[in-house]
Amino acid sequence: MEELKVAGGSTQFIVIKLGDEQYGIDIKYIDNIVRMQHITRVPKVDSFLKGVINLRGEVIPVMSIRIKMGLEPDEETKSSRIIILKLGMNGLIGVIVDEVKEVVTLESDQIEKIAYDSKEERESFLCGVGKCAGGLISLLDLNAVILENI
Amino acid sequence: MDVSQYLEIFLDETDEHLQNLNTQILLLEQEPDNMDTINEIFRAAHSLKGMAGTMGYKRMQNLTHDMENVFSEVRNGNIKVKAEMIDVVFQCLDALEEYNTNIRESADEGTNDNEPLIKQLNDILNEGKGDTEEEPSGETEPAAQPASASGDKKWLEIKLGDTERTVIKEAIKQGKNVYGLTVSIQESCILKAARAFLVFKAIEEDGEVIVSDPPTQEIEDEKFGWDFSLVVVSDSPLDKVIAAAKNVSEIQDVLGDVLDPDSESDAPAKQEAAEKHEEGQTAPAPAAPAPAAPANTGKKTEEKKPVANKPVVNRTVRVDIEKLDTLMNLVSELIIAKNSLVSASAVSGTSSTAVNEQIEYLESVTTSLHESVMKVRMVPIESTVSKFPRMVRDLQKKLGKKMELYMSGEETELDRTVVDEIGDPLMHLLRNSADHGLESAEVRKERGKPEVGSIFLDAYQDGNNVVIEVRDDGNGIDTQAVRNKAIERGVITPEQAENMSEKDSIELLFNAGFSTAKVVSDVSGRGVGLDVVKSKIEALSGEVEVKSKLGEGSSWIIRLPLTLAIIQALMVDIGNEKYAISLGAIQTIEDIPPQNVKLVQAKEVIQLRDLVIPLIRLNEILDIESKKDPDENMVVVIVKKGDKLAGLVVDELIGQQEIVIKPLGKYVSKCKIISGATVLGDGEVALILDANTLI
Repeated sequence: MEELKVAGGSTQFIVIKLGDEQYGIDIKYIDNIVRMQHITRVPKVDSFLKGVINLRGEVIPVMSIRIKMGLEPDEETKSSRIIILKLGMNGLIGVIVDEVKEVVTLESDQIEKIAYDSKEERESFLCGVGKCAGGLISLLDLNAVILENI
Repeated sequence: MDVSQYLEIFLDETDEHLQNLNTQILLLEQEPDNMDTINEIFRAAHSLKGMAGTMGYKRMQNLTHDMENVFSEVRNGNIKVKAEMIDVVFQCLDALEEYNTNIRESADEGTNDNEPLIKQLNDILNEGKGDTEEEPSGETEPAAQPASASGDKKWLEIKLGDTERTVIKEAIKQGKNVYGLTVSIQESCILKAARAFLVFKAIEEDGEVIVSDPPTQEIEDEKFGWDFSLVVVSDSPLDKVIAAAKNVSEIQDVLGDVLDPDSESDAPAKQEAAEKHEEGQTAPAPAAPAPAAPANTGKKTEEKKPVANKPVVNRTVRVDIEKLDTLMNLVSELIIAKNSLVSASAVSGTSSTAVNEQIEYLESVTTSLHESVMKVRMVPIESTVSKFPRMVRDLQKKLGKKMELYMSGEETELDRTVVDEIGDPLMHLLRNSADHGLESAEVRKERGKPEVGSIFLDAYQDGNNVVIEVRDDGNGIDTQAVRNKAIERGVITPEQAENMSEKDSIELLFNAGFSTAKVVSDVSGRGVGLDVVKSKIEALSGEVEVKSKLGEGSSWIIRLPLTLAIIQALMVDIGNEKYAISLGAIQTIEDIPPQNVKLVQAKEVIQLRDLVIPLIRLNEILDIESKKDPDENMVVVIVKKGDKLAGLVVDELIGQQEIVIKPLGKYVSKCKIISGATVLGDGEVALILDANTLI
């Protein structure tokens, strides 16, 4: 999130829901948001990798943030979405979220760095907390969520 | 002038010319008198020099220039082809290769002047010239112009036809002057044809060019060296004409004198020159005006006229491989779309005869389209294997063994990407054969074999595969020695060694860090060869097989798929999931009653026509619950890897389909038994099982 500080100004986040909690994903990493579709399971891979989907002819892996963060497994509902992220050289990857709510713009003074001594495991996947009208948003550190363990 | 945009073309063409030179010089070594070969070498060296000069690579240009000089003398019969000369020339090619590599890496040719080589070339040149009347040239610019036999007054070599003679005589009668001129262009000049044109234009302002050497047409086509000669009729004094020509930029020098047409035909030296020129006209060399030569070579060259004269028409287009990849991807998309259409029409039930007909038509079009695009990407393996004869020749010297390489099927075509990758493994195998396989001449004699060892490289297409076979008639693989070595290295235990079959012993060779050569040689024997060969071939979805008979030789058989992007596959159902198995790996499909399954060492096997085949239950490996009743007959797909077989148990067969392979990407690369994925007609993704890793 260095870029965020350097920019000094505002950053846009997509607010998603996992369970009752709101999370934010920096919009610059997002390639696409698609509806839930059939995921082809890939055998013998980590449990958080749910499989692969066909996105306009490209085969793209899909992972579950919930399993990665040690939450309850996903439950597919009407509002479930797959967010396609583009991270560096590793190509596209999809993550399953319960719901996509909105896009918010946070000024740098609305973002608070998180203390790393936190006991809770899932907080190591966060890079900060944003405060806005809709309440608190945990900002996901995508590098930690996705790139770790690959 | 910015030439960087031509760099790619330059590099490609240089590669081609160097390859061509290598091949031709090998030929020359065997048939030192073959004029065709000499002409071809001369031509290639000349183009190389021109290209290097144009691109501003001075060192490369100098070296080729001297090489060209040597061949120019060879062509004129002044130098005989000798073994030492061939060696020097090969070293030159290596040096040129080095320049080329440097240029490829940094767009700079490097700083190696290769002076020793240039000196050696000059020595050859001077030695050859010792007999001729000409003085050995200086160190820096040896025989810069081979044509300097009649000094710088080259216009004297121009042969005048009757018409020209009449014109000249007429002109003299009218009180005009007739001059002979020789114009030399600076060697740094890039557009020499344009300069020549400007010279013509300047002279024609107050005179008329009667005849030129080489002829005007060739000058326009840049088919001349760094100078050309003219006969000019003019009213102006000689100085003025020369000054006019010199005024053109990048002109090094203009020499001229008054020409007397009558004396020309009498002098014997000129006669020879004239004759020489006649020869030049019948077989116009793309190079500088040919030097004076003994008259008897004139005939020889004339015989070769059709070859030398044949215009090199290149009816090809160079295309960036990326563009082809894009095209291939689009074709893949089209095939997926076609598959979707097929399944959509089947589902919706709208399939009338008309729709079906159109779909069938579409199918045949996409299939041919795919084939054509694939063909475009196919190149003959020649580009890779043609460097091997040279390599074997070098090995022969280095190892002190006598050997001969026989190649066949160089025209066999493979996907470009595969051809590029296959060179190193093949080189390893050839070196291996030369070093470990073939015995020394003495041993061969004792064993009653011909002293000269043979290595064969055969390529041919076999169904959807291309097979490349490297064979030698050497010692073969000593499996006992292999086992001993393996025990020594701790790869296997002595007990294991006892029960090992010949085949398994040979397999040991592919172990990393394994080498049986008693002495580590420069050529091979560091033990990094064969495992690299194997992994490289497998990375290309191919396989290596070894056959060997002690004392008689061994052969290494490489099997490669024709294409990597689109394959024919068998679709199968396992539980609720669909998988694809490449048709290339499938031997047969069997219907086996459950009671036929036997247990051997707690592993399930089936017996099929004298063969015991291990069973692999895919549902267990893939963690799927089978939907099939265990009492029902099993569908077993027999797959093959090398000559190992295995039976894959699946639930149902769906059918054969053309599938487009898509990579799974880095995130799911952990799963080794899946080699990729494909998008089915209904948009779903099916995984492709890699039969090789299952066995």
